[in-house]
Amino acid sequence: MVEQLSPLGQAFRPGSHGNFANGTGVTLSEIAPGSIVQVAAWPGEQKKVMTALATVTGLKLADGAGTGAVSERHAVFGFAPGKFLVTDTSEGLAAALSAKIGIDIGTVTDLSHGRTAIRIDGPKAEWVLGKLFAIDFEPASFPVGSGIATAHHDIFAQIQRSGAERFDLYVFRSFARSFWKMLCHAADEVGYEVA
Amino acid sequence: MSPRRTPSGGRIDRLRTIRFTFDGTAYTGHQGDTLASALLANGVSLFARSFKYHRPRGVLTAGIDEPNALVTVLRGEVREPNLPATMVEIYDGLVAVSQNRFPSLAYDVSAINQLGGRFLSAGFYYKTFMGPVVGPLKGTRFWMMCEHVIRRAAGLGRAGREPDTARYEKMNAFCDVLVVGSGPAGLAAAREAVASGRRVILAELDALFGGSTNWSGEAIDGEPASAWAGDIIGELKGHKNVRLLKRTTVWGYYDGNTVAALERVSDHKASAAKGAPRHRNWTIRAGKIVLATGAFERPLVFPGNDRPGVMMASAAQRYANQYGVLPGDKIAVFANNDSAYRTAAALNKAGATIAAIVDVRPDISEDCRTLARQCGAELLVGHAVVGTEGGKKLTGIKIAPFTAAAGALPGGGRNIEADCLLMSGGWSPTIHLASQAGARPVWDADLQAFLPPEAGKGWVGAGAFNGVFSTAEAIAEGFAAGRVAADLPAIEIGTLPQIEPAALDPRPAPVFEIRAKGKSFVDFQHDVTSDDVRLAHLEGFVSVEHLKRYTTLGMATDQGKGSNVPGLAIMAEAVGKPIPEVGTTRFRPPFAPVSVGALAGERYGDLKPERLTPMHDWHLENDATMYSAGLWFRPMIYGDPGETVEQAYVREAGTTRETAGIVDVSTLGKIAVQGPDAAEFLDRVYTNIFSTLPVGKARYGLMLREDGIAFDDGTTWRLGVNDFLMTTTTANAGKVMQHLEYFLDVVWPDLKVHLTSVTDQWAGAAIGGPKAREILASCVTGTKVDNEALPFMGIVHGEIAGAPVMICRLSFSGEMAFEVYSGAGHGIHVWEALIEAGKPQGMVPYGLEALGTMRIEKGHVTGAEIDGRTTARDLHLGWMLSKKKPFIGSAMMDREGLIASDRLELVGLISLDNRPLSGGAHIVMEADPENPHGSLGHITAACFSPALGKYIALALVSGGKALHGKRAQVSDPLRNRFGPVEIVSNHFFDPEGKRMHG
Repeated sequence: MVEQLSPLGQAFRPGSHGNFANGTGVTLSEIAPGSIVQVAAWPGEQKKVMTALATVTGLKLADGAGTGAVSERHAVFGFAPGKFLVTDTSEGLAAALSAKIGIDIGTVTDLSHGRTAIRIDGPKAEWVLGKLFAIDFEPASFPVGSGIATAHHDIFAQIQRSGAERFDLYVFRSFARSFWKMLCHAADEVGYEVA
Repeated sequence: MSPRRTPSGGRIDRLRTIRFTFDGTAYTGHQGDTLASALLANGVSLFARSFKYHRPRGVLTAGIDEPNALVTVLRGEVREPNLPATMVEIYDGLVAVSQNRFPSLAYDVSAINQLGGRFLSAGFYYKTFMGPVVGPLKGTRFWMMCEHVIRRAAGLGRAGREPDTARYEKMNAFCDVLVVGSGPAGLAAAREAVASGRRVILAELDALFGGSTNWSGEAIDGEPASAWAGDIIGELKGHKNVRLLKRTTVWGYYDGNTVAALERVSDHKASAAKGAPRHRNWTIRAGKIVLATGAFERPLVFPGNDRPGVMMASAAQRYANQYGVLPGDKIAVFANNDSAYRTAAALNKAGATIAAIVDVRPDISEDCRTLARQCGAELLVGHAVVGTEGGKKLTGIKIAPFTAAAGALPGGGRNIEADCLLMSGGWSPTIHLASQAGARPVWDADLQAFLPPEAGKGWVGAGAFNGVFSTAEAIAEGFAAGRVAADLPAIEIGTLPQIEPAALDPRPAPVFEIRAKGKSFVDFQHDVTSDDVRLAHLEGFVSVEHLKRYTTLGMATDQGKGSNVPGLAIMAEAVGKPIPEVGTTRFRPPFAPVSVGALAGERYGDLKPERLTPMHDWHLENDATMYSAGLWFRPMIYGDPGETVEQAYVREAGTTRETAGIVDVSTLGKIAVQGPDAAEFLDRVYTNIFSTLPVGKARYGLMLREDGIAFDDGTTWRLGVNDFLMTTTTANAGKVMQHLEYFLDVVWPDLKVHLTSVTDQWAGAAIGGPKAREILASCVTGTKVDNEALPFMGIVHGEIAGAPVMICRLSFSGEMAFEVYSGAGHGIHVWEALIEAGKPQGMVPYGLEALGTMRIEKGHVTGAEIDGRTTARDLHLGWMLSKKKPFIGSAMMDREGLIASDRLELVGLISLDNRPLSGGAHIVMEADPENPHGSLGHITAACFSPALGKYIALALVSGGKALHGKRAQVSDPLRNRFGPVEIVSNHFFDPEGKRMHG
């Protein structure tokens, strides 16, 4: 199978950048999951879709807006009523989900090439994201696993908290390089590693 | 030791000496000094020239309300004008200069304006620059002539022309409780809210937390007030649920308890830390807001009240106690209230001689008399200052007996020698943010001040903001406000802290102005005098809002922090009405000036992000000239060395028609339309039918707006029974998505259809030309691409160089062509494989210019023709309007105006003089360059056609098809292009489509 080429190109500069006076604020990376899939339930069919998601990914979601969960292999979160973003470190997730989610309960859309997944990890992650998004990132409001759909000016972004100090951001591939540059710029102040 | 620096005391670091310059002269100060305090310590009294009269001005205040001492700070070539010297913290290497003076601050030629004062009164511009009604300077011309002279003579600092290289940033924050102001009330509120576990932000506009505790000289429970504040700040720092923001001015209060705050991150440093911004503009969304913003002391209005050396009493106390600076050696005090007596005592304690205390009140309290006695001052009750002496520096004051009740000067008087005069005209609570939040201020006759009304839904006030001026009560109010904001039950504070010395009576005498001969300034920054206010009244202005605009009172950068109330009082007296009946101006954001950089944040230089196709880097590496199409970047041409744009696109289009060409079409909008009702949905949104489209086939579709006008076009591919891939034009992708979502959400919520933008999921390469199929066949595996396997509008799946691809045989160029879609991450891989496969045939990559050329030759429409005014029939797409079903726009498309015979219709044009045509040029029957008229329509797109060997164009022309074969003229007066054209069919090339169908 042909490997996907990162859209970040030369803008991805591994190493240390910015101001390290107070240590490394964040680490930025592209996580490039094998599969990124959107699943959308018809009205009233959300529970069935969540059951199917649990069957395929092993991740059970709590009720409520923006809930989600992460495992080593998968991540799932709701970003709109009845809509979920699901990832898998391996390819083939769309087919696996389609097998469980018939057209009677919802749709499965493969976005593995269409979205770029960027990870920001570190003690200053909330601070850096606060520069870009009008979202309350503190753990009480945005616990591990939860997700949200938002935008940084023209750039639509879906964000999941995947760890205590870690967030995964999904942006349109065509915007990814521009967004990456903005993120690096925003992280300059706190010192960042690109890995 | 500087001449006016006290031997000890203050909150400055005397061990750190800081070097800076002002107007080229080198000075030193200490860490913790402002430019104002450091210059005062060096004996400087002249800081600026006034706005209109160029009068010498000193420093009036010690804070953000400073109207006089505005300076320009230089950082390399970058100028930052109009900064109050009271807010500029000094750092090593600071370069500050005075402004609005020539040739120097001390000798300013425009000071002659003072002599013409009566001509420069309120309404000067309105009265002077009406302009003659006849003659060469008629109308506004006289004004235009004078304007640049006046602009040079009057005004503030000069903005720089060099680009500002500093970084500016935005920040979002959320909290349960925002406390604005960190004086005693704010600290008490913050402590209470933080202890409850709420998320708290404490914002302080100064460099030090603590507000008045830094300079009040009070003791709280036996320890210095600043130590009490320091203890609380230390305690707060130990909590994780509080964010302390100093040097942060909350400047705007908006709906939903959203406030804007400007943090001056690096202004106090020689250079910003690496990556740090100069300013950070916070957007804070707060559950509740505690307004503990304190109060501003008001000036008194009397002749010569603007002379350098005249200062607010509280400011002098602050200079003495916080900065260890005496503003004068021999100080006089002029007041209408008790607070100035405490100031006199503080300055006397710091080493100054108090020459006299002049009080307009006939009688004062015993406490005040004691204070006056203790500082050895001559006490002159029932007196007023009626003038000041000195040039650029105060040397003395004139006093006279004054009857406060009548505001009269019965006569007499004498001079008192003094190098500094402190004035106190009472206090105005800083209610700006509450006012912005919609609260109407309430006049308090006792305090002679506007107070905030009862707390609003989102905020609660505390301390001097509420007109509560004693520290003990402020702390109690802060405690209570903190509890309210944290949603805690109200309880008594318990024991109130003991404050020494005890508070004095906060009520001032209702005296705002001493009417005597000479200019008495109300608004110092805009040079508005009390006579200007009265003149406005005499000229018929009765509303305070009109007064403000006519005199510009309160419209300077300090927004009337000190001048609004005195100005209103003088107006009220002139009108003969009580102050509350004359009204008050309401405050708007910003509370204090905000740098434009901070409002823009990082969005300078490139206001829009870039959208790049998967093949972007390949285009650059292969010499493409890129241009932007919306946010996208697309190749215009792949020029050879020395080629013009026209030569390049003619070569690219010509080669494509001769052999083959390939173009990046990844930018086309792509929407996944999925669900059991997807086909039905498409039938409703397209003018033609899609439910009959077999799986594995594509169809060209046209959408109309609801009003029957053409909206967008594109092909939609049926990938499965319930799964369509819709393509849209690049420019309209977002609009089409919104349009479709609107109909699904609002009009047809019963349809089971999901829409997802998959534009970025796919890389698209269109390969066209007589050799296209051969090239494709040589590199694709897993499928055939011959006519049988892949008929026109057919779709097949296969692989190219190991990457899965989806190929649809459709054509925009009019050639045998295929759109090859691969996963975007495989885009370059597939593109390069196609390029490699095309090499033996001489295939070229082509850009948008060649794409446009070939579509013009074919007469295909784009956004230039689907321009929001044309109908399907105008574009000869009437055949696509299904009669078998309704669709969006079908009810409106047959309206009279949309089917009129004189509508502009799509035609082709051939240049008969063999010269280029341009979009936007008009088509007329008879060209008349002198008097252009008679337009029949206009050109929408033009090119040189390599297939025809002529300059051709598409145009929208009234009469349309009926004019085919007729000769007309192009009329383009803007570009001076006139000449003959022939009107022809828009299908210039291969109208039967033989090449495309093969």
